[in-house]
Amino acid sequence: MYRGREGQWAFYLHRITGVAILLYLLVHVGELTAAMFGAKYSNAILEFFHQPLFQLGLLGVIGAVLYHALNGLRILIMDFTSWGTRMQQKLWYGVLVLFALLYIPTMIKILPEIFGGGGH
Amino acid sequence: MAIKTRNFNEARQQASTNIELIWWVFMRVSGVLLVFLVLGHIYMNNILISNTSIDYDYVASRFSQPLIKVYDLVMLALAMLHGTNGLRYVIDDYVHHAGWRSFIKFVLYFLVALLIATGTMVLFSFPFNKVGG
Repeated sequence: MYRGREGQWAFYLHRITGVAILLYLLVHVGELTAAMFGAKYSNAILEFFHQPLFQLGLLGVIGAVLYHALNGLRILIMDFTSWGTRMQQKLWYGVLVLFALLYIPTMIKILPEIFGGGGH
Repeated sequence: MAIKTRNFNEARQQASTNIELIWWVFMRVSGVLLVFLVLGHIYMNNILISNTSIDYDYVASRFSQPLIKVYDLVMLALAMLHGTNGLRYVIDDYVHHAGWRSFIKFVLYFLVALLIATGTMVLFSFPFNKVGG
């Protein structure tokens, strides 16, 4: 069965993280376009996004990218190997383990910067 | 319609048009490149340094380096196209009203085209002091 099992969760998470990353990307490119207008405007916008709420959001986006990248590699394995689809559930647990191994140290590095008054 | 299959031969059979098959291939090729480009980008700007220390001088010095220009330009184009095509699949799946579907896609494509253009402009506008010789 597909419905409600690991494959469906993998699929929905891939979609949700993908849409979230695209929305962030639109804001991110817009934010950096301000650099064309010089230091004054650019610094004001960059500092606005340095508020803890946005920095937490960014940490969430990093997590979304990490999941989307690892699960994307799982999709490639399913598409281009003979054994990938048969192993897709185990591969998804592999994705989750790798995600935790990479994301937990990332959080330990970044969370104190958000609440420790910045890394200036 | 988006192709929902699990290998290239099936994709070729299911593809409604050649362009749809090209997008299927593009999603996989750009995806694997973006894994390295985007994770490298995050590593440089969030792990090696603190993101909260990023200011105009840092952005300007990065955009002035030729290697970063190429890196960011490739990443910008691939990420925008990969993301837009992905959202196109999502819109096709969940927006059933034809009028709304066209309208949402039009707004999306307009926004993305605008941001690819301004994103490219900002990359080529650095360093400022070299503009006009």
